[in-house]
Amino acid sequence: MMMINDIEAKIYTVSKLNKYIKKLFENDFNLQDIWILGEISNFKLHSSGHMYFVLKDQESQIKCVMFRGNNCTLRFMPGDGMKVKVRGDISVYEKRGEYQLYAKEMIEAGKGELYLAFERLKEKLKNEGLFSEEIKKKLPLIPQNIAVITSPTGAAIRDVLTISLRRFPNLSILVVPSLVQGTFAAQEIAKKIDFLNKYFKYLDFIIIGRGGGSLEELWAFNEEILARSIYNSKIPIVSAVGHETDFTISDFVADLRSPTPSAAAEMTIPDKNNLISNLSLLRSKIIRAFKRNLELKTEKLISINKSLRYQRPENKINQYYQYIDEYSARLSSRIKHRVELYEERIKKDSQRLDSLSPWAIIERGYSICRKIPGREIIKRLNQIEVGAKIEVIISDGKIFSKVEKKEVVSN
Amino acid sequence: MKNKEKIEDIPFEEYLRKLEKIVNQLEEGELTLDESVKTYEEGMNISKICLEKLNKTKKKIEQLVIEGEENYSTKPFSEKEGEDAINGF
Repeated sequence: MMMINDIEAKIYTVSKLNKYIKKLFENDFNLQDIWILGEISNFKLHSSGHMYFVLKDQESQIKCVMFRGNNCTLRFMPGDGMKVKVRGDISVYEKRGEYQLYAKEMIEAGKGELYLAFERLKEKLKNEGLFSEEIKKKLPLIPQNIAVITSPTGAAIRDVLTISLRRFPNLSILVVPSLVQGTFAAQEIAKKIDFLNKYFKYLDFIIIGRGGGSLEELWAFNEEILARSIYNSKIPIVSAVGHETDFTISDFVADLRSPTPSAAAEMTIPDKNNLISNLSLLRSKIIRAFKRNLELKTEKLISINKSLRYQRPENKINQYYQYIDEYSARLSSRIKHRVELYEERIKKDSQRLDSLSPWAIIERGYSICRKIPGREIIKRLNQIEVGAKIEVIISDGKIFSKVEKKEVVSN
Repeated sequence: MKNKEKIEDIPFEEYLRKLEKIVNQLEEGELTLDESVKTYEEGMNISKICLEKLNKTKKKIEQLVIEGEENYSTKPFSEKEGEDAINGF
């Protein structure tokens, strides 16, 4: 019984065991943040963005994972057969009970030491603000005095001179010979930048550079001493190192980076013929616009002159005369019309008056009876007695008569 | 004399900008006669200054010869001699 109990006390679940082992790995600093050299095989880029691969040498291998958050800064695409250095932590994937390398950084093995030094210096100077865009000096459009610090015998100086003079034939170029590779090159270029800043303040800018080469050959342009000298230079610096794809620390610090020495000349030296034809274009535009302005003003003057003639006083007076004639004619015709209208009306009114006069009625056969005496017009029977005298007025005279009888006539 | 110094100090590109402004002003045609005569004259003058600026520098290819920390001289550049001059310091 005791035996069984002892055994049971030491029984773990699988997950507990794996968790324990994982802790062991993670607490061992020999397995954390280490660099491992190996060859990639079985590389897979999952759709999630994570990378899974095996790192191996001739005798052994280890599983690796590089999560998207870490592999997004890679400067190359890893692939099978590549020799790489990987930095990361060794830990356990509990679900499968497999230990593996969790990669944080990867570089191609061939580029090792220098590449790392490059990255570290770049980071350092960047943090110090040596690369910031705001401090970059502007180059003048028309440089007059420039200096080129480079090897006096390389293709670089030939290219710069040829292209510069082709673009702008009357240029003053100071060639400052210098080593451009080897242990002392960076220091020498730096010293020459300082020297020019001291004795050749008037320079428009300085091109420093060399033709393409291996990372080692270009190394001078990745050294801190040169970077600081570029940064401190009051004269603008143009960095022109190697081929298109080579980036150096000098490129980042310089006021202008050009991919090659030839490109530096193309970028900084303006094409004089272009400038001149541009100038003469502007000049002829000015002349044309000025001429047109004059023409417009002349036209305006002519048209004002014309309209002024229309505005002469006698013209105005004649115009008024015409108005007066026109209006008086209109006025008299109006009055005539009015008069005719009134005449018509009067005629009508008098006709109406005629028809209303008692004489007109009498004319039509009616008559008027009046009492005698009194001449009161008799309208009712009760106004008059039998035997009274009356006069009857008819159209052409009076009839004197006597009332003999009254009789009511019912209507 | 003072005016001449000023011309020296003003960069080419600024004159070019002025020239473009003058073209615009004249092309808009809003100027009075006096103004457009003045502007035209200014434009002609500036284009002359620009041309002078382009032709001012003399072609010169020289090589710096450093002799110690403070002394230097220049000589016409030649590729062959350049080699000896590398180690100026």
